[in-house]
Amino acid sequence: MQPRLPSTAIVIGSGIVGASVAYFLARRGIAVRLIEAVSPAAEATGAADGAVSVASKKPGPMMQAALKGVALFGELADEGLLAGAFKRRSTFIVAASEDECAVLEAHASALAGAGVRVDTLDGKTLRARFCALSPGARMAIEVHGEGHAIGYQVVHRLLTAANVKVSRNTSVQELMLDTNGQRITKVTTSRGDARADIVVLAAGNGSAGLLGLRDILRPRKGQLLITERAPALNAAMPGAIMSGRYLLSKGSQTSAKAAPGRGLGLVIDPLVTGQFLIGGTREDFGDRSTNDIDAVSQILRDAVALVPGLASLRLLRSFAGVRTAVVDGLPLVGRIPGTENGFVATGFEGDGICLGPVMGKSIVQMICGEPTDVDLSVFDPSRFVLSGALQ
Amino acid sequence: MTDAEITVIGAGPSGMVAATTLSKVGYHVEIIEQRETLGGAIYRQPVESAMAGGPAAGSNARWKTIRNAFVKQAIPVRCGTVFLGIDGDGLVLIEDRRKGRVERLRRKGVVVAVGAVEKVYPRTGWHLPGVSTAGGLQVMMKETGRAPEGRVLLAGNGPLLIAVAAQMARLGNPPAALVEAGDPFGHMATGVALLKHPALLQEALLYLMDVYRSRIPWLRGAHVTSIEKEGPALLVRIERKGLEKRMSVDRIGLHDGIRCNDFGLPPETLSSKDAPVVVRAGDCREALGAIAAEADGARAAQRLANILSGSAEASGLDAAINRTRQAQDLLARLFAPIGNVSPLAICSDETILCRCEAKTVGDLRSLCQHLHPMTGREVKLNGRFAMGACQGRFCADNTASLMALMNADSADLPPRAEDLTGRRWPVRPVSIAALTAAANPNTEKPNNEVEQDDAS
Ligand SMILES: Cc1cc2nc3c(=O)[nH]c(=O)nc-3n(C[C@H](O)[C@H](O)[C@H](O)COP(=O)(O)OP(=O)(O)OC[C@H]3O[C@@H](n4cnc5c(N)ncnc54)[C@H](O)[C@@H]3O)c2cc1C
Repeated sequence: MQPRLPSTAIVIGSGIVGASVAYFLARRGIAVRLIEAVSPAAEATGAADGAVSVASKKPGPMMQAALKGVALFGELADEGLLAGAFKRRSTFIVAASEDECAVLEAHASALAGAGVRVDTLDGKTLRARFCALSPGARMAIEVHGEGHAIGYQVVHRLLTAANVKVSRNTSVQELMLDTNGQRITKVTTSRGDARADIVVLAAGNGSAGLLGLRDILRPRKGQLLITERAPALNAAMPGAIMSGRYLLSKGSQTSAKAAPGRGLGLVIDPLVTGQFLIGGTREDFGDRSTNDIDAVSQILRDAVALVPGLASLRLLRSFAGVRTAVVDGLPLVGRIPGTENGFVATGFEGDGICLGPVMGKSIVQMICGEPTDVDLSVFDPSRFVLSGALQ
Repeated sequence: MTDAEITVIGAGPSGMVAATTLSKVGYHVEIIEQRETLGGAIYRQPVESAMAGGPAAGSNARWKTIRNAFVKQAIPVRCGTVFLGIDGDGLVLIEDRRKGRVERLRRKGVVVAVGAVEKVYPRTGWHLPGVSTAGGLQVMMKETGRAPEGRVLLAGNGPLLIAVAAQMARLGNPPAALVEAGDPFGHMATGVALLKHPALLQEALLYLMDVYRSRIPWLRGAHVTSIEKEGPALLVRIERKGLEKRMSVDRIGLHDGIRCNDFGLPPETLSSKDAPVVVRAGDCREALGAIAAEADGARAAQRLANILSGSAEASGLDAAINRTRQAQDLLARLFAPIGNVSPLAICSDETILCRCEAKTVGDLRSLCQHLHPMTGREVKLNGRFAMGACQGRFCADNTASLMALMNADSADLPPRAEDLTGRRWPVRPVSIAALTAAANPNTEKPNNEVEQDDAS
């Protein structure tokens, strides 16, 4: 049965996911009210790296989704919406040890098997292509057809293009259900109630409280750094660099006395401004938005080891964001179980920039009863029992 | 040597007095200073108005008193060292530029005493070569002992312009004119109230006499509306009572007052488990000039000592600060711009707002034309205001004020400069090489690899 198309919608949260949902709804003529606790891109989206990438993915549903995500960025850039806001570039995963080389070669064939264009570059070829790299780089794989986008820029483009009304500084407090417990009749906010035919929850870490999912959604902090402009060094980098170290399996690297829950993965992205974005950490503890010298100096030491020229630049800014992770590593995208008109799209952890637009588009297709660009069945929230989630 | 318990940041009068006071009551104190000498702006480079600070004649004596008391305490001083902020673990971060390394300090308390900065409103052409701040010209005179050459125009608002004009006259090249937005002569009653501050009045009169003796045209109730390049010179348009006057000059010194140099600084934190107690002192708490800064250094030190020892807060130290504040209020009223139009409101769209990223008033206007007013942070991110290497020192204040004007009918709180600059370390750009040297092998957590298979 074809569902009746909604004519009004509330979207909760204006990160990249909420903004994408709002954009694709508005494009169909549905009147959208976007309710945002702070301001657009205030949370993870405004503090993300922005790799639009499949390079580190293993074959599976997330890789399939990421491939669609990258493709959609390309389309939106070509049609103008994201022109200039999506930088096309390769990702180079660099190996600096024997172990890393082995892992990287296996990874390259997995990517190639999934239809990704990958080249393996030996040390000599690599340094010829990438003179900024240190001699310590032994080999690399170049993953083609990827890109970089800045989360807050994408949000700004989407909201401006769709002329979506954003209620800033308005926090949703509760989703109110009818007596049957099947329809969301209204949402209560810090600035009064709001009603619409459908409600899409895209509130990142704020989603957990609204759905009662605290054990399923977990905050995971990350720290990132931005350098001053360095046009010459920037031009000497034909793409982003990712250290192959973190492709190594967990067990082989974690030392017994390691501090719990902090991981360091190195990514160096040359930005269109001539600056470099360097990241980052993945932390299960700590104050949400702070940067600490331990992490910052460690990230920079790793970065300089790979690209020695960075040592002569200045660090302009550090910042931190909090990703929303799901315990089983797959996002939550689909109908809020038990409701007719409630939907959720969150839990993208470190992939929401890449996946935000395509998942926003897909959930709008689902709402409208159409086939979805991304197969959403594995992401269906009903895989978790929502214990007392909605009252 | 015992490790310091308290770090004082900035060796101007407030920082030096604070350090001295804390040392006297038994704390191990150190002071860091980004320049190579002590004394701060007033006693080394008088960026602030001497008038705002106190009588010029007495300043030498004051400096000697501050310095002698400071020297007696044998407080360790680190020059060429910049404060970067306090990190998420409560470590005080400093960059020792001589050694080229960042250091992390565990401290009980921090006194932030980093002074004031000059305020300058944007005007069409204010970014052109040959235009600087009036305070900048003053520093130059102090350093070289010579007046800036050629025809110089001083313009803006406030008593510092008169002081700079007088100093130029004494050095043999009086400015071509002094353009002042206010009209101190239009406020007789306020002027009379200044009699309660004889030292200030005396200094003002001395400067004014120099201005008159040198026949410097003092255009009151006037403002510079635009600056253009005209061959090797600068063509300035000045508006006064609806009439336009043009002048051709070689250099321009702009000045619209001073404000706290608090960009990106950590807020005062009065109790904290893992982080130091942070208090602010002097002009970076409230820009009142050197005399108040001295008193405020003592006040801040007392406050910090009280918090650290858990005793009640002492009172009675604020008399000098209040007195200076009254004098400053009087001066502000005396120099209140005529016409009550914000100089920001009349900026053309082409006027540069952010010099680092070359963003204009028009760029801001188009961003602010949205259905709903954007927050300071959105304007920063999407307009790149306050994002350059100066980290907002030049544009954050003006951008926030302009946003408030553009969204005057908004119900939301008007944006503040700190909404744009944020409060993140490093508060100054810092050498990456110096940061990589910040490793502290004893406290370094081992690097823990966790599996990561998503983008970042
Ligand atoms: C350091 C770091 C690096 C990253 N790097 C990458 C990368 O390279 N590539 C990539 O693809 N992804 C990356 N990510 C991940 C990406 O940023 C996130 O997956 C994505 O931004 C999530 O978007 P979102 O819209 O779901 O959530 P958010 O951006 O967190 O947005 C949620 C919004 O909801 C609002 N909200 C919350 N509660 C309420 C409420 N009750 N009422 C109203 N509003 C509410 C919040 O204020 C917020 O604006 C990174 C993340 C971090 C932190």
